[in-house]
Amino acid sequence: MSLTTLLAAMPGAISQGVIWGIMAIGVYITYKVLDFSDLTVDGSICTGAAVCVVLMINGVSLPIAMVAAVAAGMLTGLVTGLFHTFMGIPAILAGILTQLSLYSVNLKIMGKANQAINARNYDLLVSMQKLRNVPFYENTIFIVLLFSAVMIAVLYWFFGTEAGCSLRATGSNLNMSRAQGINTNFNKVLGLMISNGIVALAGALLAQYQGFAEVQMGRGAIVIGLAAVIIGEALFGKIFRNFALRMVSVILGGIVYYIVYQTVILFGLDPDLLKMLSALVVATFLAVPHWKNKWFAKPAKKGGTDHA
Amino acid sequence: MLEIRNVSKTFNPGTINAKTALDNLNLTLNAGDFVTVIGGNGAGKSTMLNAIAGVWKPDAGSIHIDGTNVTGMPEYRRARFLGRVFQDPMMGTAADMGIEENLALALRRGQRRTMRWGITASEREMYREKLKMLNLGLENRMTSKVGLLSGGQRQALTLLMATLKQPKVLLLDEHTAALDPKTAALVLQLSDQIIRENNLTTLMITHNMHDAIQHGNRLIMMHEGHVILDISGEAKKKLTVEELLEQFSVASGKQFASDRALLS
Amino acid sequence: MKKVLALVLVAMMMLGSVCAVAEDTTYTIGICQLVQHVALDAATQGFRDAITEVLGDKVVFDEKNAFGDSPTCATIVNGFVSANVDLILANATPALQAAASASYDIPILGTSVTEYGVALEIPDFTGVVGYNVSGTSDLAPLDQQAAMIVELFPEAKNVGLLFCSSEPNSAYQVKVVAEELAKVGITTKDFPFSDLNDVAAVTTAACEFSDVIYVPTDNTVASATGIVDGVCRPAGVPIIAGEEGICSGCGVATLSISYYDLGYATGLMALRILVDGEDITKMPIEYAPNFTKKYNEEISAEFGVTIPEDYIAIGAEEEAEAAEEGETAEGTEAAEESEPAAE
Repeated sequence: MSLTTLLAAMPGAISQGVIWGIMAIGVYITYKVLDFSDLTVDGSICTGAAVCVVLMINGVSLPIAMVAAVAAGMLTGLVTGLFHTFMGIPAILAGILTQLSLYSVNLKIMGKANQAINARNYDLLVSMQKLRNVPFYENTIFIVLLFSAVMIAVLYWFFGTEAGCSLRATGSNLNMSRAQGINTNFNKVLGLMISNGIVALAGALLAQYQGFAEVQMGRGAIVIGLAAVIIGEALFGKIFRNFALRMVSVILGGIVYYIVYQTVILFGLDPDLLKMLSALVVATFLAVPHWKNKWFAKPAKKGGTDHA
Repeated sequence: MLEIRNVSKTFNPGTINAKTALDNLNLTLNAGDFVTVIGGNGAGKSTMLNAIAGVWKPDAGSIHIDGTNVTGMPEYRRARFLGRVFQDPMMGTAADMGIEENLALALRRGQRRTMRWGITASEREMYREKLKMLNLGLENRMTSKVGLLSGGQRQALTLLMATLKQPKVLLLDEHTAALDPKTAALVLQLSDQIIRENNLTTLMITHNMHDAIQHGNRLIMMHEGHVILDISGEAKKKLTVEELLEQFSVASGKQFASDRALLS
Repeated sequence: MKKVLALVLVAMMMLGSVCAVAEDTTYTIGICQLVQHVALDAATQGFRDAITEVLGDKVVFDEKNAFGDSPTCATIVNGFVSANVDLILANATPALQAAASASYDIPILGTSVTEYGVALEIPDFTGVVGYNVSGTSDLAPLDQQAAMIVELFPEAKNVGLLFCSSEPNSAYQVKVVAEELAKVGITTKDFPFSDLNDVAAVTTAACEFSDVIYVPTDNTVASATGIVDGVCRPAGVPIIAGEEGICSGCGVATLSISYYDLGYATGLMALRILVDGEDITKMPIEYAPNFTKKYNEEISAEFGVTIPEDYIAIGAEEEAEAAEEGETAEGTEAAEESEPAAE
């Protein structure tokens, strides 16, 4: 493997990283903001992909197909949310149940396990085909970065509104939220819907990028999402404190993850070791803040407990 | 202002762990009443506050706030009538959010949460003024995360949040119990001040008999899920701790049993 | 700073030119395989053997496995396109789809793909893709499988079709076989199940209806042959299977393709493109070069089926080869494989 090859592979790695970074923002909203470990994403990423692809091959225009994909993703979040709030099922189990049922739903949407969307037949928004030799405004990297920028702006605005603040409060302290008149159940459902809508958007982009939707494509998505969140936090947590910048760091985390992944693949490491390596990457980045605290911590300025 | 009529609540009914926490409880608070609540372990003090707040639905009876029957109303809906401060300083504030954001959440209690910006410049000024009153220097760190504050600071902030929008009834659930004595005294003094300035109808649970006698215009003592003693006006002002203990044994036929009350 | 940048640039150019020189004398072939699986492994091996026999050390294989994670196929082929390989072998459907999305000019050959028209979303597929994609299909000839039912069970009137409803290839195979059987006046009925949990119940229902059961190449049945066998043998209903793995578990006989041969045939196509300069856009999809009629000795004996002479007992061939080992180390029949493709 030469350096030129590695550099030439970067546009692809970055594009894939940003798409998974968008997905990771969905994970960030549930995992970090809402404090809800939502496993729906493994299924909803494929739901987004399946809805977008199936609508497009049936002649629906691309923007409508994408919007429908997001809507379908939000619906999956609604189901998990109702499982949890209305039926009282624990968060993780609620997500697993939805994820499981989505396997069947996704098969039904596609009518089979794998549905192609051939870049030759459609003018796709993003594609591996559009990484080079296209005007910059059609370049996949530009498009996915534009998508994340708009999304981060919208989310930043939303989480600053009264409704958004109450959602953040719900994730931070249920008791306090209810005492301040916040409908926490509604907010949990809303948060899950927003999150899975974003995840489905990433699914729709990913299907176009790789040229197919597949019922297995979301397997382990939650791990990649968490990895992006954690890597972003470990690398940029010290500089990016503002909410919008933290979402930027999630996107950057996704990019870093895929650059590492692409490099590992280019180096031709034993395929048997691939899964272990991605786990190690996540574990390493998880360990960084821990080690920092343990060995490099300056005497912490603690919030005094005495002076009140 | 607050009316509790024949409210009963049994936890874990039908099991060997069944516990009757409220037993045909009746209590009426007039507007402006500042009632201190004392009672032994498991007397049903916190259970009563939770019943008012709507943490769960009582088995029997009804609860009315300012003429509205709130018995079946979910917790978040009746929050518009209530200000609450909890025993655990962690419970009353959102640690991941800023001081001003917490206040902004409290200011909108009882309102629909819209797509308007969550905090405005004008209210920020108001927060600064209110925080100054606490005398804790919080007005200079309004964007700091609440998680960085001490327990006392958080409790003071929670108190401010509970009263920022005037509640029909203020519920204080041993809100100084988790603080060190100095801080506890400070928070209690703040509570007294805010309650008096705003003439708030208040229920304050305390384990400290001196505090219970010193503050408020009325004192109730609970035992086995209902009120056994209700002293107000001049009679309350003259009370001593010894008399209170004496009255307790007469009313309940038992020694007052609270690990903490006797020590303080 | 500028100096450093310049140095890096020069170094990169040198590296690039070294690669360019190397490419004149050797071919680089990127192999993207979806998952480690005996059938796919055999296809890859066949492909490599066919090319190595002709080109020897003038070919470099860059073999990558996506480990069952289909989006990784996109990462892998992105690497191939960046390295500007001479040809890509896409082993299994998602690998083919990712490769076809990634490059419009590098020749791409697929293998272990059942239907190219479906995989590449080409309506009214005629057998030639028409752009930089071609390859081999692992579809066993279904008309001959239908004929096998008639050959072995001439008395059969009702044939049950047992398959997993979520596998598109199974539904397709079942449809074709039903049409073939209808031509000779045999009644068929579909017995689809949605997942492993339903297999026993659906198989029981199928046994009540059927004189003979047909099972297509179906990954779900392949993992549940024990259950199917446990129901069908006591019920006295024999099974004709779409592939050897299922047949060895619960079937009487099957028509088998060799994934090694399929890969080998794909390798020959690659040679025609790389060495002979044949235009891939005009190359039709090829099928497995030969089929073997195979039977399950134990089960067929139990049902008392008379097996014609051109059938080979499952396992017999491998034993024969094991005996000859050392003499025929190489060759197209060196590694008979029998598992269904994972798609």
